[in-house]
Parts: sequence; structure tokens; C-alpha cells
Amino acid sequence: MILLRLISWPYFRKHILRTMLTAAGIVLGVAVFVGMHTANQSVLAAFSHTVDRIAGKTELQVTAGETGFGEDVLENVQSASTVRVAVPVIEAVVDSNIKGQGNLLILGVDMTGDRSLRDYDLESGDEAVIDDPLVFLAQPDSLIVSKEFAEKNGLAVGSRLPLGTAEGERRFTIRGVMKSSGLTSAFGGNLAIMDIYAAQKMFGRGRTFDRIDLAVRPGRTIALAEAELGAMLGPGFRVEPPSGRGQQFEAMLAAYSMMVGISSLFALFIGMFIIYNSFAIAVTQRRSEIGILRALGATRGQIRRLFLGESAVTGLVGSLGGAAFGLLIARGIAASIGALISDVYGVAQQADELATSPALLLGAIGIGVMTSIVAAAIPAYQAARVDPVQALQKGKYQVLSAGESRVRVAAAAILGAISAACLVIPLDRSRPVFYTGYVLAIIAALLLSPLLSLALARTIRPVLKWIRPVEGALAADSLIQSPRRTSASVAALMLSLALVVAFAGMARASYDTIIDWMESTLNPDLFVLPSQNIVVRTIRFPKTMGPELEAIPGVERIQMVRDARIVFRETPVMVVAVEIESVAQTTRRAPLAGDRDDMYRRAAAGEGLIVSDNLAQLQRLSLGDVLEIPAPAGLIRLPIVGIVVDYSDQQGTILMDRTLFERYWHDDTVNVLRVFLKPGAAVPDVRQRILKRYAGTRQVFVLTNGELKQYILKITDQWFGLTSVQIAVAVLVAILGIVNTLTVSITDRRRELGVLRAVGGLHGQVRRTIWIEALSIGCLGLVLGFALGAINLYYILQIVHHDIAGMRLAYAFPTNVVLTLVPTILTAAFVAAIWPAESAVHGSLVEALEYE
Amino acid sequence: MATASRSAPSVPPLPATTPAIVELDHVSKQFQGKRQVTALDDVSLVIPRGQMVSIIGPSGSGKSTLLNLVGGLDRPTSGEVRVDGEALAGLSDDRLTRVRRDKIGFIFQFFNLLPTLSCLENVGLPLHLRGWPRRKVDERARELLTLVQLGARMDHLPDELSGGERQRVAIARALSIYPPILLADEPTGNLDTKTGDDILGLIRDLHATLGSTVIIVTHDMTVAASCNRTIALRDGRVVEDVNRNVTS
Repeated sequence: MILLRLISWPYFRKHILRTMLTAAGIVLGVAVFVGMHTANQSVLAAFSHTVDRIAGKTELQVTAGETGFGEDVLENVQSASTVRVAVPVIEAVVDSNIKGQGNLLILGVDMTGDRSLRDYDLESGDEAVIDDPLVFLAQPDSLIVSKEFAEKNGLAVGSRLPLGTAEGERRFTIRGVMKSSGLTSAFGGNLAIMDIYAAQKMFGRGRTFDRIDLAVRPGRTIALAEAELGAMLGPGFRVEPPSGRGQQFEAMLAAYSMMVGISSLFALFIGMFIIYNSFAIAVTQRRSEIGILRALGATRGQIRRLFLGESAVTGLVGSLGGAAFGLLIARGIAASIGALISDVYGVAQQADELATSPALLLGAIGIGVMTSIVAAAIPAYQAARVDPVQALQKGKYQVLSAGESRVRVAAAAILGAISAACLVIPLDRSRPVFYTGYVLAIIAALLLSPLLSLALARTIRPVLKWIRPVEGALAADSLIQSPRRTSASVAALMLSLALVVAFAGMARASYDTIIDWMESTLNPDLFVLPSQNIVVRTIRFPKTMGPELEAIPGVERIQMVRDARIVFRETPVMVVAVEIESVAQTTRRAPLAGDRDDMYRRAAAGEGLIVSDNLAQLQRLSLGDVLEIPAPAGLIRLPIVGIVVDYSDQQGTILMDRTLFERYWHDDTVNVLRVFLKPGAAVPDVRQRILKRYAGTRQVFVLTNGELKQYILKITDQWFGLTSVQIAVAVLVAILGIVNTLTVSITDRRRELGVLRAVGGLHGQVRRTIWIEALSIGCLGLVLGFALGAINLYYILQIVHHDIAGMRLAYAFPTNVVLTLVPTILTAAFVAAIWPAESAVHGSLVEALEYE
Repeated sequence: MATASRSAPSVPPLPATTPAIVELDHVSKQFQGKRQVTALDDVSLVIPRGQMVSIIGPSGSGKSTLLNLVGGLDRPTSGEVRVDGEALAGLSDDRLTRVRRDKIGFIFQFFNLLPTLSCLENVGLPLHLRGWPRRKVDERARELLTLVQLGARMDHLPDELSGGERQRVAIARALSIYPPILLADEPTGNLDTKTGDDILGLIRDLHATLGSTVIIVTHDMTVAASCNRTIALRDGRVVEDVNRNVTS
């Protein structure tokens, strides 16, 4: 402790900028970690909050995935001996049509029984609206809105609110405004209540409910009710407490959460490198100080503890700053995740409040401090080993010794060989072996990075000298003479870029694969949808629309599609019900497994199921396996007759014939109508005819083939929006690392730069020396980063295929992103060099020449 | 103008018509720290073109400060320094650098060669900075290294040379532009006697051959005695200014 005060504190004060840069590494890592996790948690918490508030006194909920179920189920549930009260619910998210207000959650309820589960105290309006269910029934255009929503939008009893419904835009009348309560705080206060039968009509539900909320009879336990209802309703239904919906939501976001986790861990890892770099430099520069301390009797343990203590303090300060900064950026990230979830999963959710978890913050601070200590462990160990006699002599400590180089090469070769050997066993055969190989490959690259940096610096020296004989040669020499000073910055940049390259490569491969899938499968000319957002399934069409559309001039064929998320093997997957016979005639693509004709024939006859490649991969399914799918009308037990490429859902898709779906889910509604035109028919003309046919009677959105594909690519863009966050992190890493390295470089080379100025070097020439050094560091980082990125991409694609999305992505190096990264990183390097270059030209020349 | 002058009878003064190349007019230099230190105190000097001048005095007398001011490495607190008729006071850093690289060659006690550059590259450095074509730089650097008898060591790094050889490279570098003024700060201070004599001989030969004005800061009275003129400093003031006739 006394050494920290006597030795470390004055050093920190003298090198305040370097200390700040060191802490900035941890600030960056912890901020990304805290920001991403807090945002993710906030969105999940907001969803759970909404579920919880809407649930009221509900103890159990009966659901059948997104598909809902017939009205008859309600009577069965109500008749159960353990059930005190059971009420039906329909939930729909509609655009509020009010600028800046986003979506409105509409809850369709039966007021007769619902008040025993939820409170609807009115602030204003006629109590008869809730006291007498007939009032609501008789006026299906009635809405009760939350006080929050009414106040925000200047609405009162009697106000009219236009909303998009399955029957087109309808104007609803506000009959009551609810007092603020738990219920009205759900969905950020954007909540409205409607009669359930009106909701069935308005949102195209037919004679179905989305779910049943119930309370258990006094004296009976929830577990007993769960067991009774489970046995009564069969495997097609889920009977669980309201919190179960939160778990399903979490499961749906699993892939996204995993991506967030990988990114934030990488950010911490990169922060660790910045710390390592700083301490490695500090040990090198403070050798003589360490030598004096050792000569005065300091033990190796005291020296080691001194550096570890410094790193712990730096880590703590950086972690506290990072946690605060992370909370600051979490709100923005949460908004972006909310938008992503809405567009990708069709679940509108906004996090108005941050779910700041003390455990997460403490954990992040702990991880930050530990990361810092781990990063400083090697430099601390090296410091403790400093020989006092040698340390007091002047020498070149930035140089890698031949012995160290040999050890590094040998260790990297061994780890690289083990890593390559691990590839012999594929990921789906042994996860530990694959992931061990991945980690070893990264460690081998890190071990080699100083030597590779040195070799590259030697290679570029003639080029730099040719470009600028003095500035170029001196910049290259600075890198060659001090690989230790440069290598950690290069390594941090390399890691950071390797991550960007891997994610960008994955994004590009996904684009290529999705485009290929769209080109071969999504070939209708027009798509007719009930909502602008193609993944929103809360509003649906009746099946009568199929023949109606077929009658429109120019239309040759209609394919009715019903897709719905169900729970299969405890995972939310997508069921896509289509007219398989018709699809067989319009899809060109051959299946990945199974005979094309046999597959379509058996699936069309309801004798088999077709599954997507990603589902097969994630659930370890093969051709011929018999699937058991729980449905409201019983358990579907059918073999897989084909495996096809289909990217309708990240967790996987089960394709079945509509007749089978209708039979097992009692649901004949439609989400999407695919329209194929007759030869010669003009797309804009037919589109206009469809819009005209339903004007004023039904809400329809007609997208052309190109528009739908663009829409899907836009969603894909959003999904890979993380890549831009990673590029930002890479740029920050480049700036932090290079500023750090250059700050030390100009101190080390103070005399050299002084000589340069003394013999006639102008300010511009000295600046150029520093700039070229920075750009060279950027170049080294880019070359090594792209090389490691190419390896990293292979591993990431394997992980995506086997463990995240099940997508079989072709390896393709993301040349376009790489071409963007080159100027981006070089610009960042140049920006990082501005301040050090200015300080290099503005110091005292006399002092520089006398500097030892 | 010297504040004190003691002309040796055997050394005829330079003709009155010889133009001044270095002029110091009431120059003072103070360093600010916890307490103010006066390194030069109201010094006025005129050094004519072509003269070989030694500056002597004990440590802290202001010798190096005077050399730094003449070389444009530092700026006076008050007074004026003129080099070849150009007042340095109002010049920007870059303009001052141009004066240095066009008119002044430096020889330092610790050589100040760039360790990563070869002898040839070190000598060519000021020429590259002036933007000379590579071929011409190469030719001049080779010519100068041959002149200082290091023709066989052109591609060696400074670390591979002896102290005397390093100083020869430094001299070659200082001469690379054939500057009208050559400033040497203890050029033999880091060398053994024999090597020091060789280096001094070389400087005197070059002075005779090239006709540059040479200003040498030294502790060594032998070195001082070999110059046309010796200026002695004490506590930042000129206490003695001796002109003598010296034959090379």
C-alpha cells in the first residue's frame, strides 16, 4: 500500500494521459458489456412487466402457441373442478396512427367475468360500460383507454380514434378512461380494452380466442389445476403461470442474446489487451525504477503486488466509469433492440425504463477488475523478475529477445497444431473439442502477433522509405526497434478486426443465402398482407379471400399461407401451413434431403412434414424421423419427408399442408396471400385492382415481389446492425491503442525527434513521421486482423450452423466490409496520431537533445 | 562587441571589412523553475565570417546556452541574435528550422546519430529534409563519408562504429549542406585523447578547406588554443575574448 502511494501515485500523476488511456480500455469493455446486457434485460423486463400487469390476478394461462383455439375450449376450462374463474383474452398490437406514439396494445376481454381477474376502475366515462356487458356488446366500436394514453394524446370520453383492423380502418369511440393502476402501466401505458367478440371480428380471429386467463378455486393448488387442465386439454395446450410467456419470449430471443453475449465478451477481452499493453509498456519504461526498488531491498513479491495493485485500482476506476457509461448507452441500445424485436419477431415491445440490475453492475465491475488484474499479471510477473543490476544499466528493453521469440513460435506452433487437430472432429460430434480448438487458434494468433508485426514492419520499411526517405524510414524503424511497444496495440486491433470480419462475413453469407432462398422460393408476383409489418400476425384474413382474389382479372394462382409460432420441444418454432400441392408447382428448388416429388406428394396428402434445414440442424432431425407436434386437436405424429432451405424463422420452420393445420388447430385464417399473375398481366394493374376490391372493407397491404425481398433484406440489415457497433468498438480500440503506443513512442524517441528538428526537420516533417508510424500500426493491425478474421469467420460460421441459427452458410470473405475498414481504421489511426504528433513538434528542442 | 578583449600580439585581427556572420546584441537567457537561473547575462558578440572560435568556461557558465541560441535551438529571453544578417527573434519555428538547415551544421558531444539509420542515411538526412533528389543525396553523402575517411563503413549502423568514427559521421552530417556556420558542442568531450586530436584535426582541415565559420564549445584548452579566437564565459558573462594567429 505504501509503495502504491509512494511509487504508483506519482507515476500516475506524471503520466495522467496514459493512465486515462489505460482505464479507457476497461471503460470501453465494461460499458459495452453493461450497455448491451442492461438493454437486453430491460427489453425482457418490459415484456415481463407487460405480461405481469395484464395478468392481474391471473394464476394460470391456457395457450396454444400463437394460433389460439376454438371457443369451445373455454367451456371445458370453466368446467374444471380446480378453476374458480376462466376468461377469454385476445391480444392485438395495432398502429396507434398517432405520430410519435407507436403501437397500441389492445386487449379483447369479456367484461362479464374479466373483472374478477383485472381491475377496470374508470377515471371518467359511464360505469355502465364495465358494469353492464351488454353496453360493450351492443356497441362494438367501444374502447376503454388508459389514463396515460388519453392524457398523452388529448383524448377523452367520446373522442374518436381511427385504428387499422382486418376490416380496414375503423373509427373507435372512447367510452371510458381507466384510472392509473398496475394494468394501465402495461406496454408503456399504450393500452386499450375492447370487447372480446368485437376483437374477434376486428382482428380476423373468427371464433377463436388467443388464450384463457384463470384463477384457481380456493383450497386448490395451482399445481393441481395445472395437472387437471393439462390432462383435460391434451398436449396441444400449454397451461402455465403468466411468467411462462416471459420465458418463451426469452427463448425466442436466444440467438440475439447469444450474439450480444459474444460481442460484449469480446469487448472485455479487447479492453484487457489495452490494459496489458499499458502495463507491459510501463514495466519496460520503469525498469530502472524497479531496479532501484530491488536494489533497496524490495522483494519480487512486493514488486509483483505493486503492479497488480496498480492494475486493480485502474480496473476499479475504469469499471466504475464503464458501468456508468454503459447505463448511459443502454437506453439507446434498448430502443434499437425493441425495434429489432418488433421487426424481426413481430413482438412489439419497448423498454421505457432501464432494468438496472445491481447484480449485473457488481458482476461487471468485478469482471472489469479481474480482467485488469489478469491483463497485468504477465507484466507484473516480468517486473518482479527484473534483475536489479541489468535494470540500472541502459539498454533496449523494448526488443524481443531471441529466446522469447523462439518460445513464442514454439508455443504458437504447438497450439496451432492442436487447434488444427481439433478440427478433425466436427462441432456436432464434440462441442468441447471444437471450442477448445477455437480458443487455441486465437491464443496462437496472439502469441505470434509481435513476431508477425515485426516481420511486417521490416517488410514495409523499404516501401515507406521509398515514399518518404526520412519520415518513412524513421517511422518503420520505430516499429522495428520496439515490437513490445507496438505489438499489444496491433494485437488489440487484430482481435477487434477479426471479430468485425467474422460478423461481417456471417452477415454477407446470410445475405447471399437469404437472397438465394428468396430467388428460388419467394417467386409470387404479389403478396397480400393484413399488416404493413410482415411478421405481425395479430391481424389475419379469412380464407374466403383466396377465391375472391383468384377472381380478380390477371390473377392466375393464389397460395394461402398461415404461419404461426408454436412451442416444439420447448422451443418456439414456426409452423407454415400452405397448399403444398400448389407450392410444388411454383418452387424450383430441390430439397436438401428427400425426393422432391415424393416429399410434396406425401406432405400434400397430410402424410408427412417438411422441415427447414435450420430446424433439422438445431433439433438434430433427419429425414424419416417422426415428429410429435402438440396441437389443440391432438398430437400430430408424422415423419419428416423432406428437408428444405427456409429462413422464415431463426429457430426453424415446419411446413405442412393447410388441410392438416386446419384439422389440428381449427384455424382456417390466412396471414399472407401469395399472388401469381397470368402471363402478360401487369403487376401495378393487378395491385390496383386488389386494393380497389377491398377499399373500405378490409385492411390490405399489397407488396410486389421486389418490395417483399427488400423488406426481408431490411430486417436482415437490422439484425446485423450489431456489426456497426463492433466497427465502432474497433475504431475506438484503434484510437486508444495507437494513442497509447504513440504517446510512449514520442517519449522514447524524444532525442531522435529532437535531432531530426535540429538538423533541419520542419514541423510538418516531424508530424509526418508520427503519422506514418500511426498509419503503419493501423496497417499491421489491418493485415493481421484480416488474417485472423478469415480464420475466425470459419469458426463463427460453424457455430452459427450448429449452435445458433442452424443456417448452413457458405464461406465468403466479406471483401466489401474489408474495403470499408481499410480507410476507416487508417483514418482512426491518423486521428489518434494528431495529438501525439503535435506534442512531438512542440517540446523544447534543447531538452530533447539533452534527454537521456 | 566583446565586453572584454585581450588581443594576443602574434594574432592579427581579421580585416575590419570582414562581414559578421553571427551577432549577439545584449542577449540574456533566463530559465524559469522553482527559482530563476540566469544562463546568459547581457552578452554582445560579433563573429566574422570564416573565423574559428572556441568558447570556454566552467560548467554552468553559459557556453552551451550561447551555442543553442546561435544555432536557433533556443530563443533568448531578451536581446537579439542575428545569423548571416537575419534576426532570429521574430522567426516562426519553421522559419528558424530553415535557417538551421540552410546555414548551420551541428556537431554534438554525444554524436546524436539516429541509431536505426546507416552512416550513409544519417549523413543524407539533412539533405533529404531539404527535399534533394535521392541520387544527389546519395552522391553527396558518399563524398562526405569518404572525406571523413569512412568510405568503407557507409552501410554500417552507428552501434557498429567506434566513438571517433561516430563523431566523424556526425561531422559529415553537419557538413552535408556545406553550411556557412559549423557549431560543435564538446566535439571531443566523449573521445579519448588520440581520437579527440584526430577529430579536431579534421575540423580544422575542413575549416581551412571549406572556409566555414566554426564555433566550438569546449573544456579543453588545447582545443581552445587551436582556434583563431577564444571567448571565455563565467556566470553567463563574457570575461575574456582572445584573438590569435593560428596556423593549421
